[in-house]
Amino acid sequence: MILEEPIKGVPLVKNFIDGEWVESKGEIKDVVNPAKYEVIAKVPISTKDEIEAAVEAAKAAFPDWRRTTPLARARCLFRLKELLEEHFEEVSRVQTQEHGKTIDESRGETRRGIENVEVACGIPTLMMGYNLEDIATGIDEYVIRQPLGVFGIIGPFNFPFMIPLWSAPYAVATGNCVVIKPSSEVPLSQMKIAELVDEAGFPPGVWNVVNGGRTVVNGMLDHPDIQGIAFVGSTPTARDVIYKRCGETGKRVLAQGGAKNFMVIMPDCSVRATILALMTSFFGNTGQRCLSGANLVIVGEDDEFYKSFMDAVVATTSKIVIGCGLDESVQMGPLHDKEKKEKVIRYIESGLQQGAKLRLDGRKNIKVVGDYPDTCFLGPTIFEDVTPDMKIGSEEIFGPVMSVMRAKNLDEAIEMCNSNLFGNAHAVFTSSGKIAREFQYRVTSGNIGINVGIVAPMAFFPFSGMKQSFFGILHTQGREAVRFFTESKVVIQRWF
Amino acid sequence: MNLQTASAVISLAKSLEDESAKFYQDLAQRYAEDKDVLVSFATENRKNIVQIERAYYGVISDAIEGCFAFDIEPDVYKVETALAEGTSYHDALGKAIELEEKIVKFYTDAAEQSKSLMADVPRAFALIARKRSERQAKLRSLLGKEG
Repeated sequence: MILEEPIKGVPLVKNFIDGEWVESKGEIKDVVNPAKYEVIAKVPISTKDEIEAAVEAAKAAFPDWRRTTPLARARCLFRLKELLEEHFEEVSRVQTQEHGKTIDESRGETRRGIENVEVACGIPTLMMGYNLEDIATGIDEYVIRQPLGVFGIIGPFNFPFMIPLWSAPYAVATGNCVVIKPSSEVPLSQMKIAELVDEAGFPPGVWNVVNGGRTVVNGMLDHPDIQGIAFVGSTPTARDVIYKRCGETGKRVLAQGGAKNFMVIMPDCSVRATILALMTSFFGNTGQRCLSGANLVIVGEDDEFYKSFMDAVVATTSKIVIGCGLDESVQMGPLHDKEKKEKVIRYIESGLQQGAKLRLDGRKNIKVVGDYPDTCFLGPTIFEDVTPDMKIGSEEIFGPVMSVMRAKNLDEAIEMCNSNLFGNAHAVFTSSGKIAREFQYRVTSGNIGINVGIVAPMAFFPFSGMKQSFFGILHTQGREAVRFFTESKVVIQRWF
Repeated sequence: MNLQTASAVISLAKSLEDESAKFYQDLAQRYAEDKDVLVSFATENRKNIVQIERAYYGVISDAIEGCFAFDIEPDVYKVETALAEGTSYHDALGKAIELEEKIVKFYTDAAEQSKSLMADVPRAFALIARKRSERQAKLRSLLGKEG
């Protein structure tokens, strides 16, 4: 069944500043549905004045919002949660239309986003400080958590709905105001959320959305009234722009970057369940996520196991149904745009040049279900005989490519994981608790999967990351986000 | 084409529940003797849809195998529910039992295939399979009463 598209016509996206929908004076860009390769909306690249107006509005809203009780702030979030549930299907389909992912993936993204709103509803408890009587006789000490002011939130293209919600609900729940910049490639999900924020009764200026590109990012980074930035995107931008500039301007920062995740297969794994988990891991979201499997490491010198496992992986992968994400039969959507597809193809070519063996070529015979142009579609690709020093074995491809390696034993597999520059989400598939513990203990990765191919932390756990995958100290989601968006103030008191 | 995604399987479950609800409503109108029982089956079908949707929408996430959890051939579970004019109540109950057998098989297969992959969804499927088995027993007792 093909589901109905919620976005009709070609709407012009506006900015949401101080509770008003404001038309930008900036240049206008197309928003393209990659499955149909057609324009579905127009988005502005907002100007410096516009980002400044949004920060100004947020700054003006802060004193009153901060004085609003945590319980009253939580009630706004409860209303937002209810509205998001009511619009669950619509916002999910918007994601598929603007990004290309399958409807199951979009609904999963919606659920994950809403869960962050739900967790932030617990702010009266989450934001509590702590105290101790009689640190010296008759003197008490306590810690209170206070909001800081205005935060900038910068989202990537691959999860247009969910990723800004890793931060924004906690920022406003703790009494801060936010300015969100969605990716200009996928602005519609955040527009929909802003509509619901407005309906939920948040005061003007608490939640602002400004569309655009570098001008908006620079406007946030340079603005003295922005207290901190939550960013998710590529490693070079996270490290060299966001983290660096926030350091220079004294802003708080959490900057999540790229990944190259290793999925380590032990011969004692449950084969069928593992292979299905690998399909989701490597080819879900068309490989465009920082939690995707990238390198498959098969451990042991048992050639028979290797051959039978790989035959099953290739057979299952070959059957993946590719097409428009609103077609319920589709298991993998397109890449987000033509340039991203070309980049993945360049990686495939480099794999061939560096001597990897192409077992399944996603460039050939792409069978797209339905009548859609193949502009952004690419089939899943599997390389064998990959080594960690090859480009396809070491760099983030961000596409549906599986690079298969072999390791003699667990030690070698762990060494492979740890020698990579990234440390986002490595996983092991095994039925041995001892191996699982060893892997968890020794692998340098912010998130670890044990028989889980997509190690996506729930909203009440931090979305961690290490090495070149994360820059900062505190992470998004849950208690760490609450700490990121608040300052600890210590009070010591005595009474004469 | 076999159904592999959770979305497609949930849609099939909904359509099976909808079609069988219509079938029981039709039976209730035609055969007054067990009207209340037949209407209660149709009502239960609506509740089943809510239960399935709640399980699916409640747990669906990018961490589980939503696009790869199933391999369901929909035609295996389809039953022609239209009743010809003049069908006896006995034959209609026979058709209902056949329908329930197929639906129990669907839920059992779907639960088994997605076990450990789709979190709460297989549990909801298994629960409905059990309810539909109990319904089969009720239908058999009605058939027995019919003689």
